[in-house]
Amino acid sequence: MLLSWSALWATIIVPIALGVIAWPLRSRAAHHALTYLSAASLLGPLAVVIYGYAVGALGRGGVIDPFILNATSYSIGTMALAIDGLSAPVVIGLSIVTAFVAIYSIKYMETRIHEMEEAGERAPSFGTYLLLYNIFAVTMLGIAYSTNLIEFYVFLEGSLISSFLLIAFYGYGDRKRISLLYFVWTHVAAVVFLTGVLYYGYLVHTFNYAVVINGTLEPVTRAIGPIYQYVGSAAPLIAALLLFGLLVKMAVFGVHMWLPYAHAEAPTPISALLSPNLIGLAGYAIARFIIPLFPQQMLDWRPFLMGLAFTTIIYAGLVALRQRDYKRFLAYSSISQMGYMLLGLSTLNIYGIMGAMLIYLSHAIGKALLFMNAGVFITELHGLRDITKMGGLAKRYPLVSALALFGFMNLSGLPPSVGMWSEIYVVLGVVKTPYFLASYGNLVGLTLLLIVALTVTASYSFITMKRIYYGQPRSKIEAKESIDGFKLSLLAIAIFGVVFFLAIAPLTSSLSSVVHASVLLGYLSLK
Amino acid sequence: MNVLGSIPLMTGKVVSEYWLTWSITWLSPYVGAAILAIMWLVGVRNEKAYGVISVLSILISAIVSTIAMYIVLTQHTIISAVTSGYWDPVLKVQVGVYLDGLGAIMATIVSWLSFLIDLYSVEYMKGDWGVQRYFFFISFFVGSMMLVVTAANMILMFVGWEGTGLASYALIGHWYTDEEEYWVGVPGSKALGKPMYFEPSTSGVRAMLFTRVGDVGFLIGFTGLFALITTLVPKAQNPLSIQTIASTAGTWTSFLASKGLLTAFLFIFTLGALAKSAQFPFTEWLVTAMTGPTPVSALIHAATMVKVGVYYMLRFAPIFFIGALLAATAVPTAVAQTQQYFLIVASLAAVTVFMNATMAVVNHEFKLILAFSTAEYLGYMILAVAAGGFLVFTHNLAYMADAEMAGLSMLLAHALFKAALFLVAGYALHVSGSRFIDYMGNYSKYMKFTMVSSWLVGLSLAAVPPFLGFFGKELVLGSVAKTSVWSLYLLAVVAVVFTAAYITRLLIRVFHVPPLYEAHGGHHLREAPPLMLIPYLILGLASIALGIGWFFGLGKALALGIYDTLAVIARPAYAVSFDVTTVTITAIIIVDIIAVALVYLRRHYLVDLIERSSALRGIYDFLFNRWYVNSALYYLFLDSFNGLSWLFNVINRAIDLFYHYVLPEAGLLTSRGLRGLMRGRTDYILTLYLVMIAIVGILVYMAWR
Repeated sequence: MLLSWSALWATIIVPIALGVIAWPLRSRAAHHALTYLSAASLLGPLAVVIYGYAVGALGRGGVIDPFILNATSYSIGTMALAIDGLSAPVVIGLSIVTAFVAIYSIKYMETRIHEMEEAGERAPSFGTYLLLYNIFAVTMLGIAYSTNLIEFYVFLEGSLISSFLLIAFYGYGDRKRISLLYFVWTHVAAVVFLTGVLYYGYLVHTFNYAVVINGTLEPVTRAIGPIYQYVGSAAPLIAALLLFGLLVKMAVFGVHMWLPYAHAEAPTPISALLSPNLIGLAGYAIARFIIPLFPQQMLDWRPFLMGLAFTTIIYAGLVALRQRDYKRFLAYSSISQMGYMLLGLSTLNIYGIMGAMLIYLSHAIGKALLFMNAGVFITELHGLRDITKMGGLAKRYPLVSALALFGFMNLSGLPPSVGMWSEIYVVLGVVKTPYFLASYGNLVGLTLLLIVALTVTASYSFITMKRIYYGQPRSKIEAKESIDGFKLSLLAIAIFGVVFFLAIAPLTSSLSSVVHASVLLGYLSLK
Repeated sequence: MNVLGSIPLMTGKVVSEYWLTWSITWLSPYVGAAILAIMWLVGVRNEKAYGVISVLSILISAIVSTIAMYIVLTQHTIISAVTSGYWDPVLKVQVGVYLDGLGAIMATIVSWLSFLIDLYSVEYMKGDWGVQRYFFFISFFVGSMMLVVTAANMILMFVGWEGTGLASYALIGHWYTDEEEYWVGVPGSKALGKPMYFEPSTSGVRAMLFTRVGDVGFLIGFTGLFALITTLVPKAQNPLSIQTIASTAGTWTSFLASKGLLTAFLFIFTLGALAKSAQFPFTEWLVTAMTGPTPVSALIHAATMVKVGVYYMLRFAPIFFIGALLAATAVPTAVAQTQQYFLIVASLAAVTVFMNATMAVVNHEFKLILAFSTAEYLGYMILAVAAGGFLVFTHNLAYMADAEMAGLSMLLAHALFKAALFLVAGYALHVSGSRFIDYMGNYSKYMKFTMVSSWLVGLSLAAVPPFLGFFGKELVLGSVAKTSVWSLYLLAVVAVVFTAAYITRLLIRVFHVPPLYEAHGGHHLREAPPLMLIPYLILGLASIALGIGWFFGLGKALALGIYDTLAVIARPAYAVSFDVTTVTITAIIIVDIIAVALVYLRRHYLVDLIERSSALRGIYDFLFNRWYVNSALYYLFLDSFNGLSWLFNVINRAIDLFYHYVLPEAGLLTSRGLRGLMRGRTDYILTLYLVMIAIVGILVYMAWR
């Protein structure tokens, strides 16, 4: 359904405009006001999604911005912004997290900038931060809205550069080196991805992966037929290039090494955006265009991808257990969660892909909560982030510890958090693959893998919960919890976790119809 | 041979009702918990308000459950009350309850016991620093348990299932500051190099992780059923509802059996139940769960959490049974595979029964003895049901019905006596200031009513007629005997002897002989305050009253309930025949009790004996260290995963080094090398120039051609 005005463009432009206004300002009150305004404008996409559910547009057709850039004559295709059932959980996750983390940033970044100035470093002002933050947030939204590979790439670059600058300006530790490391890694991936994109566009004469036909969003194959007609024997190469770029972004096992550095040393509000939101977008991209455009290649690679997914889950989960730094621990946990996402995607059936998209949402809520949690201690306990020096914090921070527990519940799939649904769907996806009931060995083997994977997740969650919050304090801590906007922003995110646990019906019903119509496309439904 | 023909799976008629009417059974405690959470968030810290809201929310649930049970049993109906819309339209999940005989009886037992325990907690937790959190999780716990036993479909059951896990995690670790007085086990003790004492927060994690392993099996089981049912019976309505799973049982059983996967699949599905009900090798979490406040132990052991597994068996064993019979015409091996599955479950249960009965005899911690006893009794219940399922090869539906009857009777009897014993333990621990029974003694002088209640429930536990426990144990042993698998029967019977011994030892030690050691930090010895006394007194009196009432309606009512249960088609027998075995076993129990009582009353402490004989010492250590199961599990799983974690960390370092040291260094070296070539020496540059020209020339030539 075409919207009557450019609401989606507005959700991208308004936050940037607010950021630009904030940039030169020096007044603290103005910064605060503009931050709250940005947060409100970042909730815009959530409102659009709720509207979309209410009028039933997300199940089929999607909500489409009326302003569509037509570059068909240059063999580029059309560039539109749209939300449908597949991207709805992604947009919800982005909207909630970016909005409330913006409010959270006020106290966190003021403390951080002050701390940097005390250390004799020149930190760019809060206004600069807000501008970069808003650019980062809306370019991620743009990735989710995109319908065209070039458009996708432009937004991707926008998010990479803004997050790179944020790490370079406000990060911890050896932040110059780490931001460069992040930049190089993601650009190697981005360039490989771009090579695939260009090759694809050269052969197909369009970069679209979704097109607007009669006011509804359709997969491009509905307009031009299956892609293998155009790409022929180049299909495996193009698919491999695109997939490799996205897997590096997702940080699966083997190419994950940049993530612990970048996510641990970024300023915490940025970690809360990088970790669940940005890396998960690569998983969304796999569902959005890799699977529908290259179904045969994905089928061929399914066993390998499932193996890679299990390896990532278990490997990163076990490595996480040995981390001493809270944020580094969370970074490894994110890698492990991306393993679940890849597992869901690689099942190539409706339930698994739905599960992957729901993991995007549950991980966004859970991991954002946990990073913000780590940030509370960094801000209020003089940069405390060493887990071995924590312990017994639940007694001093009851609300924060309850929210941390809820974050871990999201990761390990316990009700009443939306994580339970993603867990059920991913497991259902694995069970539904043809391998599961193929033989006795497969049944037992896959069961054991699932048991180990899910238990490892629960282990690192609850063992860390114990190390940080329970027992006796292992260092002298005198602070006490005070309830302010800083902590209420965590509470707000957590409440959404419960809300979507209860109100799962719109998400799953529209997800299932879109996955069925636009991802599996009849070809995979039969496999 | 197909004895079923077109017999429907339910004997009673199903009535559909408005979902909310009966969902109050589980919704009420949840709403209570939600109110408490909001109160906490807005800053209300009034202890009394929390207690009152929690107790009231459970009381409402109990009253509604009782009405439901009354309707189900008297009108011979099954209440199905679900929403018309879907909670999740993709998995076709509705919200609501399915109350057949089993569900309604379970709901009533769970809610009333929880009510009594919660009432006791109001007094017990007075002044505790985490009392608000305590009542929140208790309400959440009860709501989850009620959801498990009333759930109309697997997703709701899973929500409750995981909810009980979460709540028990939080409550076991309630005193998370881990002071030594809240530990379980003898501080400093080790077995095979592994510590045998646990802090509350560690115990919480253990409970969570042990049950998590099984929960994944449960999750795989029901998602597997969903996948099978939607593929094999595309027209099936609500594939995850319990009724549909039952009505399509023949189809999916025959499919799995034809591939030879039935045994494995059913066992994976049952893993969750085994873990929750602390069957071997999952027993360990239950033992250390004693770090929670004592009412929590009572709740976990009597009404919630561990009964989840037993409920699962009672619910699904008849479905598996009928599935096998229906599949037998198409796939004859279905019966053998189902039988094999039941044999595995029964064996695990029998091993659990025996192990825990022996461990309870030697332990010194009041609550630990009760914990072993719980694991043992859960074993009895599961053994009874699995034994009935084992008889699937006879194609006789009556065996399954009898086994269900045995399991449910035992569950009821156990719920009453174990709840009461834990509540007594809570008071005893409170007055003595110690968790070891050696510091308690002569309490009969100070607390007559407590002593009487304890003996009432203790005799029920020892299975002395006419207490309720006697009927439970009689039916269980009868069910096991019918299988003619004598090894199982032997383990079950020998355990009976140990059972009577440990409970007698416990009660004599605490109430009738002076303490071995002087207690420090205890309280003044006097009768318990009414709010604590009344709950266990009621339970004690109920244990005998219901036992006597067995022949005056209770047995019949339970049998009717089983008859009204999904997939149970025969009417079970409830009369207990006093034949030779019954009389013999009862006589042994009574002699056992008297002998143990005399030994203790005359102060013949066995400690000296153990000191003198090294063989006895060895046996004692073996039992005291819980058959070394904990240490074995730690070595097998904890250490191996720790090792793996270490190894992965090393690999991770190597990957890090490769990308962030070796690659950049290699790049640097290459760049230096290349620079070395370009230092302005004419001969090098000339050579390079010629080579380049040649390459370009070849390319041009190739392109030309």
